[in-house]
Amino acid sequence: MGKGKGMGVAMDRTRKFSLFVCSARACIGLFRIRSIESLQYRAAALSSGSISVFWALIEITVYTVFYRYAAHREAATLTLAQMVSYIWLGQTLVPLHPLSIDDELLAKINSGDVGVELCRPLDLYFHWFAKSAAGRVGRFWWRALITLGIGLLMPGPLRLGAPVSAAGLIMFLVSVASTFLLSAAYGMLVTAVRLGITWGDGPTYMMMLVGGVLSGGYLPLPLWPDFMQGFLYVQPFAGYLDLPVRFYVGAIPPGRAAATIALQLGWTLLFVCAGRLVMRGRLRGVIIQGG
Amino acid sequence: MKSAVWRDARVYLKYIRMHFLSGLEYKGWWMMALQVLLVCVADFLPSFLIFARMGDIGAWTWERILLIYALAVASFGLAESFCRGFDYFPWHMLRSGNFDRLLLRPRSLAVQVAGSFFHIHRLARAAIGIFAAVWALSRLGVPATAFSVGVIGLALLGGTLVYSGVFVLCSGIAFFTIKALDWIYILTNASYQVTRIPIDYMPGLFRRAFTFLMPMLVISYYPAAVVCGWGEPVAAGFLALPAGAAFLGLSLLVWKLGVRHYQSTGS
Repeated sequence: MGKGKGMGVAMDRTRKFSLFVCSARACIGLFRIRSIESLQYRAAALSSGSISVFWALIEITVYTVFYRYAAHREAATLTLAQMVSYIWLGQTLVPLHPLSIDDELLAKINSGDVGVELCRPLDLYFHWFAKSAAGRVGRFWWRALITLGIGLLMPGPLRLGAPVSAAGLIMFLVSVASTFLLSAAYGMLVTAVRLGITWGDGPTYMMMLVGGVLSGGYLPLPLWPDFMQGFLYVQPFAGYLDLPVRFYVGAIPPGRAAATIALQLGWTLLFVCAGRLVMRGRLRGVIIQGG
Repeated sequence: MKSAVWRDARVYLKYIRMHFLSGLEYKGWWMMALQVLLVCVADFLPSFLIFARMGDIGAWTWERILLIYALAVASFGLAESFCRGFDYFPWHMLRSGNFDRLLLRPRSLAVQVAGSFFHIHRLARAAIGIFAAVWALSRLGVPATAFSVGVIGLALLGGTLVYSGVFVLCSGIAFFTIKALDWIYILTNASYQVTRIPIDYMPGLFRRAFTFLMPMLVISYYPAAVVCGWGEPVAAGFLALPAGAAFLGLSLLVWKLGVRHYQSTGS
């Protein structure tokens, strides 16, 4: 009896491991297919890129007016040039953020196709993670290229400035890669929460709104009230936008660089665990109907 | 002729009533309304926080900005509530092929499309917009005279027509291209972000584009300026309704052109 059980556990482990390897390979494949697929929509990217540029120009105008004419100009925390770069890079990164649940996954949740997905010999969480991350990254490339390109071509005071240093640029890129994982992980947590809900998108949109507001995409975090700055640095959504951009404009002390990246990755890991946990709970209660 | 208009109005109201009642069946509808409310608050939060940090800009206080912004948001919310069908049209009617079914019915096409969707929670945006505008007016010390109520009322009416016009325009363009429609966002949610810039400092391009191309400032800034006495000619405050009607009229022309061009979609 004891021996049999031991063998069973060992077999279980090998099977689990091979399932994991297959899952990982399939997920990488899915990621490639979906991201290449979404790369096709160049006209759509041009169209949505125009929104980023328009938005950036409004924001830059607003902050320029405040920096030049406001009663307490000395209360500004970054320089205007840093702020302009902050806006351009922020607008570039926004398409990476989970501001809505992936269309394809939401359609599956609403239509009950989750049942079909469960029949696949794949880990549902990583399967969907790969798909939603790929959908976002595919749309991101073109739009980012347009936003950055136009930002660099703008005349003097509106131009996206150079990075503070080579090290700053490298840290910015590393941090953006972490942003990508963080966004995907939070998006999956929201998707998992949405799994069991049949009556609407209210709670999930609110979850995503909190992320958007605290990312610095609405108002650059350095301009938030001073007493909130400590909290704003450690909360997860600074990793969406604020932290990478701070590397670029040189608003993070070099001594804090490693801790900052670790913070981003730590939150990512936490969101992955939470997402898997919620999803497991939701799937336990899932009812498959029809035939 | 008169009976045709009456008949269309009845169809429209019937549609809206039906969608309203079916919307109430979802027990989470109030959650969506709350979410829209939070989006509106979050949208204005940056302006509030930056005024709090850096102070006023000359005569421009955050109450002034809020008033102009709220008028535009309220108009947008009203249009989004009562013209949702056009807002959804490109994706939920045209691409799906459902539009063909409307063509078969002996009623006005525009009315059928306008009434094809209605979401209760969208009223939240209109409600908070109107509330914020009234609150800002009281903070600015504007008395509720017949004049001020009239100007603001006409502004909201004209604004609803303007934003409905944007949805109609977008639907009309959708007959020709459906993939690259995202830019229309510049005329919807992004348009009223322009009001965050104090008008004296607004670049001429923005100011002219949103006065003459799409009269967003005509339905927000000018009525606010006339009611509060910021030195704009009084007549400018009454331009909202004619400007809105003209914009909607031109959009309907584009829409009609699109309908004529339409050759059915789907298999």
